[in-house]
Amino acid sequence: MTATLDSAEIPETPDAPEVAVPRRPGTFRRGKGLVGLVLVGLVVAAGLLGPLFVSWDPYQQIPGANLLGPSAAHPLGTDDLNRDILARLLSGIRVDLLISFVAVPVGALIGCAVGAMATVNNTLDIAVQRLFDVLLAFPQLILAIGLAAVLGPGTLSVMIVVVSVEIPIFGRLLRTAVLRVRESPFVTAAQVVGAGKGHVLRVHVLPNSLEPVLVQLALSMSVAVFIEGAMSVLGIGVSPPEPSLGAVLTTSLHYLDLNPLFALGPLAVTAVLVLGFQSIAQAANAARGT
Amino acid sequence: MSVEVLRVSGLEVSFGGAPAVRGIDFTVGAGEIVAVVGESGSGKSVTARAILGLLPATASTGGSVRLDGRELLGADEESLRRVRGREIAMVFQEPSTALNPVHTVGRQLAAVLRAHRDLTREQARQEAVRLLDLVGIPDPATRVRFYPHQLSGGQKQRVVIALALANDPRLIIADEPTTALDVTVQAEILALLRDLRDRLGAAILLITHNMGVVADLADRVAVLHRGRLVEQAPVHDLFAAPTRAYTRELLAAVPRLGHRPPAPAHDTPTDALRLDGVVVRYRDFVAVDRVDLRVRQGEVVGLVGESGSGKSTIGKVAAGLLRPDAGTVTVLDGDPRDRAIRRAIGFVFQDPGGSLDPRLSIEDCVGEPLRVHRTATGTAYRRRVADLLDAVRLPTGYARRRPRELSGGQRQRVGIARALALDPRLIIADEPTSALDVSVQATVLALLTDLQRDLGFACLFISHDLAVVDTLAHRVAVLHRGTVVEEGPHHEVLRTPTQPYTRRLVDSVPIPDPTAQRTRHTHPREAVPVT
Repeated sequence: MTATLDSAEIPETPDAPEVAVPRRPGTFRRGKGLVGLVLVGLVVAAGLLGPLFVSWDPYQQIPGANLLGPSAAHPLGTDDLNRDILARLLSGIRVDLLISFVAVPVGALIGCAVGAMATVNNTLDIAVQRLFDVLLAFPQLILAIGLAAVLGPGTLSVMIVVVSVEIPIFGRLLRTAVLRVRESPFVTAAQVVGAGKGHVLRVHVLPNSLEPVLVQLALSMSVAVFIEGAMSVLGIGVSPPEPSLGAVLTTSLHYLDLNPLFALGPLAVTAVLVLGFQSIAQAANAARGT
Repeated sequence: MSVEVLRVSGLEVSFGGAPAVRGIDFTVGAGEIVAVVGESGSGKSVTARAILGLLPATASTGGSVRLDGRELLGADEESLRRVRGREIAMVFQEPSTALNPVHTVGRQLAAVLRAHRDLTREQARQEAVRLLDLVGIPDPATRVRFYPHQLSGGQKQRVVIALALANDPRLIIADEPTTALDVTVQAEILALLRDLRDRLGAAILLITHNMGVVADLADRVAVLHRGRLVEQAPVHDLFAAPTRAYTRELLAAVPRLGHRPPAPAHDTPTDALRLDGVVVRYRDFVAVDRVDLRVRQGEVVGLVGESGSGKSTIGKVAAGLLRPDAGTVTVLDGDPRDRAIRRAIGFVFQDPGGSLDPRLSIEDCVGEPLRVHRTATGTAYRRRVADLLDAVRLPTGYARRRPRELSGGQRQRVGIARALALDPRLIIADEPTSALDVSVQATVLALLTDLQRDLGFACLFISHDLAVVDTLAHRVAVLHRGTVVEEGPHHEVLRTPTQPYTRRLVDSVPIPDPTAQRTRHTHPREAVPVT
């Protein structure tokens, strides 16, 4: 047996024994996060700026242009009512963005407020939980049909449906996050110091609980695009002649045999938008806890 | 020495370009216990996993691992499966997770036996009973039908060892086999491993960070540092005359019992902390039973005990986080739950990562007590934080960093700086160094000692590690099942204990000196730690 290894072979490394963990590059400056931002950014840019570059009005009925295929004048062709599909698609994006970027945050805000309140008082907690149970027990589309029956179809109905779908999701999420964060050692550390409830809530509990909420926000935005589409297919979505991604897609489904390329535009935009939101959500989720 | 069982040569492991093990060589002979020691990140566990082919798919390996001359590195899954359990067995760190909670221990032993051998159900059961007897489980015929939760922690680890022994392996890899156990249980498990080696002649590769365990058990030691083999020597040579600077530093950092001159007694009449007849119950379980404890102004009192002794509960009671069911707590002649009194208490937590809010900068973590009590704002606030960082020897540039950008030892310094922010008169430290590597622990302990001497605060230092407590406490209280069994000056309690429990506790601590430690085995009581 070799007693001692020849020590001269191994170089000693006299550097400091404690090594700090290096800073990580930003989540949205690389990989999935960047891809997601670019995809969503493309759709947003198309929705905001696109209509300026298209000479047709989305409501204008062009004489003699019924269900035309793609051409130089109409890159995506025309629809059954002689309107330019590209113009309608680009305006339709605006409606979907409005729903995603207004209805989802409003739902999230209300849900978070209710969820946060529930953690304060035990009786309130039970009441809120059962209310969420009832809301969650309805499949989203049944809830949508019911609400549309009361409110009538339209953009506002879609937004109200999205808000009411998101409230229990965000409420539950924030409630669990708050309960988890409240038990963490750094909250105990603040209590030892003598910090009051308000300080603990403001400085520690809420900022740390919002992490999962931000992930869910991106996910819910993609779901909102689906809800809008599904309601349009059922005929309870955005009311005609107003365009939306779902409305343009629904019309195209009736004429797949006459103009198969009709469906291509709305499908591509929906796919890019949903993929973008999902990538952002995944990247944000992967960055949590690091 | 005897036949060579395992030869590792030029082993290299890297994860996605980041090297974890950079070319190490060692051998294990039959009947030999080789210890691989190192701090976290040294590559010791990765080495153990590489031998068994248990590395994740992202790892790339180089070099060679030979068991009786057969190459294991890069062998196919089928031949590795035949080696695992049959020829190389593994003992894991955490016995409660290594056992399946829904099967009896007998069934788990039988499953391992029948995986590699052609046994009937009855033969396997008899063999399981024999194995449990071998590892010293009393009444094995009954215990074989027990589920893991019916056994104590030490018994569970014995079962894990029995599982490893099931198929008479050529080599047992024990990865931190006693780290999760209390010190008295650790002593029993170490005695068992030593006994098994003597009786069965199994070769053992012991992976550990504990120098006391190495001194107790190993024949030969390989010291790893950042994936490199720093030194390899027989255990007596290594401890007596380490040839490399890193080994010397590592050995010097190990806290030892009885190496500090007795601290002068504190006769200040005023108490920083006084517990009178404190009782804490969790439902029917009495965690703390009529405890009286005093910490005088400027005095460091070490509170030692094993897991479940109630030491952390006492810490929480003293900090005013928990209201005792009976008895009184007085901090500086006031109630610790009072906001004004609370300003005078600092608390240092065990987990330096978890006790810092990941979203706050280091400056905000340290300055939180200042903001809560509105003692300083603006430039005064920033200057105070900079002074505190300076006091715990952290560069001022770290103020802008987040906790995750710091190492474990640096985070604990931040925790100490936060505890000092309001110039406390009493610091309660609950296992502040248990999560740290031994060299980092040594620097944190030295820092605490210096700060205590300079600032003169009183300190309740809670720890399971007797040697750590002996390095800085003036007085020591020993806690056992919720009651204080012995209390007195540190040098008396920890060197000449009078109570049987304290004696057992002190005797169980492995001394990081192979000669002294092995004398204790042959002459159980006379061998008092070297002074």
